[in-house]
Amino acid sequence: MAEGFDIDHLAKLSRLSLTPEEKALYSSQLNSIIGHFQALAQADLPTSIDDARVVRESALRSDVPGPSLGAEAVTRIAPASRDGQISVPRVVDDEA
Amino acid sequence: MSSSSDWEVVIGLEVHVQLHTRAKVFASSSWGFGQEPNEQVDPVVLGLPGTLPVVNREAVEKSILFGLVVGAEIPAHCSWDRKNYFYPDNPKNYQLTQKDFPVVIGGSVEIELPGPSRNVMGEHKHVRIHHAHLEEDVGKLSHAGSGSLVDYNRAGVPLLEIVTEPDLRSSAEAEAFLRSLVAMLTQAGVADCDMEKGQLRCDCNVSIRHPGAPLGTRTETKNLNSISSVRDTVIFETARQVRELEAGRTITQETRGWNADLGRGYVLRDKEDAHDYRYFPDPDIPTLELSRATVERLAKQVPENLYDRQRRYMDTLGLPFTAASVLVANRELAEWFELSVAAHPANPQGIANLVANDLLRDLSAAVGSTTGFDEAAPAPVSLSSCPIKPAQLAGLVKLTDEGVISKQQAKEVFAEMFKSGQDAAAIVDAKGLRQNSDTGELEKIVQEVIADPAVAKSIAEYRAGNEKAINALKGPIMKRTQGKANPGLIDQLLRKALG
Repeated sequence: MAEGFDIDHLAKLSRLSLTPEEKALYSSQLNSIIGHFQALAQADLPTSIDDARVVRESALRSDVPGPSLGAEAVTRIAPASRDGQISVPRVVDDEA
Repeated sequence: MSSSSDWEVVIGLEVHVQLHTRAKVFASSSWGFGQEPNEQVDPVVLGLPGTLPVVNREAVEKSILFGLVVGAEIPAHCSWDRKNYFYPDNPKNYQLTQKDFPVVIGGSVEIELPGPSRNVMGEHKHVRIHHAHLEEDVGKLSHAGSGSLVDYNRAGVPLLEIVTEPDLRSSAEAEAFLRSLVAMLTQAGVADCDMEKGQLRCDCNVSIRHPGAPLGTRTETKNLNSISSVRDTVIFETARQVRELEAGRTITQETRGWNADLGRGYVLRDKEDAHDYRYFPDPDIPTLELSRATVERLAKQVPENLYDRQRRYMDTLGLPFTAASVLVANRELAEWFELSVAAHPANPQGIANLVANDLLRDLSAAVGSTTGFDEAAPAPVSLSSCPIKPAQLAGLVKLTDEGVISKQQAKEVFAEMFKSGQDAAAIVDAKGLRQNSDTGELEKIVQEVIADPAVAKSIAEYRAGNEKAINALKGPIMKRTQGKANPGLIDQLLRKALG
């Protein structure tokens, strides 16, 4: 297993429940992906900001409001809704 | 056992401010308080396939303006990252934020602590800003029965997160910092900071240590939405940590919530390590160059610093601290005051008294009371509908200074001006208020009054050394002049006549 990730922790963060076989498979695939990035990291690349990825302020959006979808359209694509809001299982940080 | 006084509290704040824009930060959807749920949502807000976030220029400029207000560095570039987490307040499962290259770096906010009494200025200090980054707000959850309801109107609203260095040392300093920050944000037009609309929220990091010792383990209390909640959290958390450490226990680094109704904090979910958010550069939003031309243009919009203005009013115009502090708290009011002083530069104090007391009182009465993030602050007043113009107020003060009307009459004229918007001189004439300063005529009346046997006793008492006895003579003189005699002049003439 490559250093830098823990498949159980990643699965938990991703809200995935994995079988031992899946864990083995994804660990191996992730190792291969990380290995690829490590190869990229060896390349001699400029350390300054890449000009090709820089935009100037002219590429920004003006502060002009545009149309919205409307609550009906937003809630229609959700599995459950109530009173114009999307309904989800209770998630709370309430005082226990 | 050590006492609580041996402990020093160390506070750092993360202040989240919704910026004053019309559209959202990466989407064109409008936003604003009081809309029906999910009516201000577009495909970019939801992160639907095929959509592309594009940064709102106004949100960037407001962020830069904030940086310039606090004297920060505006870097040559800034960029956005994805902060990944699964929670229904977040429609995309990541929040667009700035991790490594924020728009504002450094700077400081000057604060003023409460003085020993209301009319004595307190100590000033500077609180360093670590950085401020421009991110998107998340949706709003409300909890109903076994489920939670999600409204994404707030998702994507431009949010500037202002992070301080751990420079604050008491709840009073935290309060003073937030007051000062809110004043600077609103006076520069960066944000409105309306607590009732949730436009300003604060996370509060607290740790304690013995002075000079390394920083202790801190806790973070999240989502405080008023200055009093921040103050109460600092007091509560300090006491709790002192209790824990003095009982030989340790402080756990944890995320906490605050129950304002019960006045106590509680533990939230375990604080996730930063790498749990698996930040990475957002591939949809290119790195942004922040041009020096823009920075220079925005620098011209930076208003005079609150406390620089206060010092100027006190040192140059000779105003007392109470009047100066009231005026500078509201930029519009301060600028109105300055226009009035420009029209009558001889008496800034006289103008300040009327503006800070009478005008502010009447304007506030017209606004009614509201609750901002700072519950202790008076309702913000607007001068746009003020019936009196700055030059008109200057005219009133000038009439008083010239002795045409008394200070008492000036109050009466002011009330009439606020009602009708007329010039002071017109009201003085219409009401026949002009004081009689005709020495010849008044001398004649004085002679007539002191010749009246009815006042002989008072005259004898005055001559015998009872200073106050002279007042009994002023009433009959005022009566004969229908109250229009200049009181100062009467006093002078009486003393002369009585030798």
